[in-house]
Amino acid sequence: MSAAAPLLIARRRPDLSLGVWTVAAAILLFMVVVPLAWILVASVHADQDNRLTPANYVEAFTKSIYLEPVRNSLILAALVAVIAVVFGTVLAWAVSRTDMPGRTLIRMLTFASFVTPSFLGATAWIFLAAPHSGWLNRAWVALTGAPRGFLNIYSLAGAVCVIALYSYPYAFAFVSSALELVPSEMERSAELLGANWLRTTWRITLPLVRPAIIAGALMSFLEAIAEFGTPAFLLIPARQQVITTQLYLFFQFPSRPNLAAAYALPLLAVTVSLFLLQQRLLRRGRFTTVSGKGGVRVPFRLGPWRWPVFAICITPPIFSLILPYAALLATSLSHAWGRGPVPGNLTFAWYHWALVENQGARRAIAHSVSYAAAAATIATVLAVCSAYAVGRRLLPGARILGYLAMAPFVVPGIVLAIGFFAAYARPPLVLYGTAWMLIVAFATRFLPIAYAGSESALRSLDLELENAARTLGSGRLRTFGRITIPLLRRSILANWLMVFIPSLRELSSAVFLFTPATAVITNVIFDLSDEGNFEPLSALGIIMMALTFGLVAVAYRLFGGGVFGQRQRA
Amino acid sequence: MMESAPHSDEVMPGGRTLSRRTVLGAGLGIVGQALLGADTGRRPAEAAAPADEAGLYAEAKKEGKVVWWTAHYQLNAAEAVRDAFVARYPGIEVQFIRQTAQVIYQRLTQNLKAGVRELDVFASTDEAHYTALKRQGVLAAYRPLGLGNLPQAFQNVDPDGTYHVGALGFVIINYNTTLTIPPQKWTDLLDPRWKDQITVGHPGFSGYVGNWVVAMWDKFGWDYFAKLAKNNPKIGRSINDTVTDIVSGERLVGAGSDGTSLDSRSRGNPVNIQFPADDAILIVSPVAVLKDAPHPNAARLLESFYYTKEYSLAMSKTSNYTLRADVPAPSGVPIDRVKWYRNKVERLEKGVPDAIAKWRETFGV
Repeated sequence: MSAAAPLLIARRRPDLSLGVWTVAAAILLFMVVVPLAWILVASVHADQDNRLTPANYVEAFTKSIYLEPVRNSLILAALVAVIAVVFGTVLAWAVSRTDMPGRTLIRMLTFASFVTPSFLGATAWIFLAAPHSGWLNRAWVALTGAPRGFLNIYSLAGAVCVIALYSYPYAFAFVSSALELVPSEMERSAELLGANWLRTTWRITLPLVRPAIIAGALMSFLEAIAEFGTPAFLLIPARQQVITTQLYLFFQFPSRPNLAAAYALPLLAVTVSLFLLQQRLLRRGRFTTVSGKGGVRVPFRLGPWRWPVFAICITPPIFSLILPYAALLATSLSHAWGRGPVPGNLTFAWYHWALVENQGARRAIAHSVSYAAAAATIATVLAVCSAYAVGRRLLPGARILGYLAMAPFVVPGIVLAIGFFAAYARPPLVLYGTAWMLIVAFATRFLPIAYAGSESALRSLDLELENAARTLGSGRLRTFGRITIPLLRRSILANWLMVFIPSLRELSSAVFLFTPATAVITNVIFDLSDEGNFEPLSALGIIMMALTFGLVAVAYRLFGGGVFGQRQRA
Repeated sequence: MMESAPHSDEVMPGGRTLSRRTVLGAGLGIVGQALLGADTGRRPAEAAAPADEAGLYAEAKKEGKVVWWTAHYQLNAAEAVRDAFVARYPGIEVQFIRQTAQVIYQRLTQNLKAGVRELDVFASTDEAHYTALKRQGVLAAYRPLGLGNLPQAFQNVDPDGTYHVGALGFVIINYNTTLTIPPQKWTDLLDPRWKDQITVGHPGFSGYVGNWVVAMWDKFGWDYFAKLAKNNPKIGRSINDTVTDIVSGERLVGAGSDGTSLDSRSRGNPVNIQFPADDAILIVSPVAVLKDAPHPNAARLLESFYYTKEYSLAMSKTSNYTLRADVPAPSGVPIDRVKWYRNKVERLEKGVPDAIAKWRETFGV
């Protein structure tokens, strides 16, 4: 007894675990705070001689050529947000509240749109709707004898539609999960009082889920304003520069990284203030009917409207998935895409090129997979540790840790990349040129997804089990490793996947941070697009998406659809 | 051109070693650099080199390899040059990276900042990179063997001999072969009959386009672009976008590069080139040996190789201009018979940023 007692005390000492949490906190600091601080520092130093000066801000925000892109970006993002919310809400309503046929199909296709990067969609839409050579335009000309087609993907409208097609899943996810919690009673009352279904939906259902709609709009806006690939592909020919393409130009020779930092900060200000605005709106208009308890949910009977509503709901997926993937596939199998699907144009050479022949492409594929896996692992571990530290209040100022982990949520990828470049392309810590530059950037960028997932999973865990282990003499760290982690296993795997998928397809930060030795698939795709090599680009894009969907399918098989439930909270 | 990522049987500078060195060099400062210097067997490239090929080869062979970063031009061209070099000089391994000029330049700049020495021969397509590097004093002055095989006009691009012509290319008029009579000169593109049919790149994204814009500006005045804008050209990013647009039928004529257009033609695509009567715009893509090259003799040997017949044959095989008049050019027009115009590098340094700003005013992008 007397021998065991000191041992027990020793085991109980929380020192070791405190160390782990502190390390997690330090890493967060290094991933989030340092890069953002460096942007600030860089922005007030001259590019030429590194002297302290406000000149970058003056240059960035007085010259009309730099103000124009800001205006364009705001218009683009606002339009995308509106369209995405309309699509997302209509689809969510039809899937969650009605007896429309093919609800599971629509849900799956929406998820597939979410996984598809919009720059790949933009490329496919060039094949489909370039003014003269686009296949849809050519078909139109052939059918009607008109001198030219009516679609022009090289336009603001084109870019807005393409980005909206790939960001409506956010609104869908938020709104559908909210709708699933709304009981039908209030709708019933409205109907009994004589309102038709349209009026009921407009006056009762939608206001009930307004917070979710706002959240969806905000996410789409953030996506659109931070998007780099699609504007580079579609808006340069449309003679419109946006903030992200302008930032890219600042990194061309002679590069102006400090001017870029000054130019990027207001973008950050916009996203942060929108986020705060959303928080305020949510606080004001809260209806407690969305309680998750009680209430029966009866699907709306659409009657004769069942198929027309289905036709509406299948439209976004047709434009975001079916047409684009068909175009990419056809191009990847062509000798020259401009010749169209004619005999003699069929070849598997580009797949051979990407998977066997070309070392560069093969290395890029290997880099993408390994970097995304490493980023997902780092983000997941960090998220669990910091969410645990926050949830159990293990550190002084634990709440700040939570804010830090969520902060990258409002930092556009391109801004984060500029911060990483400013912070880690110079001594004392030179990550530029190494794989870590991309891995850490990806991990940081998608950390909020893992954090939100871990936090809500931890919240749903009862403390009893942990307390039991602690009472029996297990230390904090041991309890965490033996009790908490196993209980969270499922959520951890889900988080890992939800970081892995976007990391694999990330372009906007990779384009600034890669070097010849660390190029990933998206870098090669961007370079190929730069040189107009659309056939190998399509083959690589198809390979990237096959990897993604393959992984999704395996996860679905192993864990069922619940794995991706996280998405709705992230 | 097809591929942008490096070809790795050539073994790239390994990511891990590199990162360790980078961190070391940065962290330990001078001590770290001294250690690294010792580690890689430093011998400054300025020291006297054997003046004959056999002697240089013998020294280079002792070093065993050469690290070469090139933007000239497509991957298959770089591979053909590597193969020809290895065939002529067995026993020297060529580690190369084929990337766009901006990427290899930025990488080199970062290395210089961090004190990492890994590169021997730098071959970008932008002459301004070299004047900047020269000012920092990081290029070795060296007269490669066989430089005299170049046409006289190209022999002394840098009076101090720190860089030399490594590859030649032109901005010319490229067109879809459904056109029986292509535009004959740059000013023909201003004709309203080409409205909605022209494709060009962007000077902010492409060094070739920047060069072309400055040349047009100096030859015809900015008015040229004011008039061109009325014909509503499609503006892409890279100069190679013009080939895509022409081959796909999106547009009919462009201001493109000879190499990519002819390469596309060789694959059976409906594109051809026209040397404009009012001058093809000559783009000199230099090559230079680094002063701190870890393999100084192999570096010199590789630079000298540029002026051999094998090098020109490798370039010609991959649709690029040859450096020697005794190897026929793929365009059928020998190098000394092309009517060309070249921007002075001092003009480009100031001219390109100005041109980008004016371009923005005129074209809105």
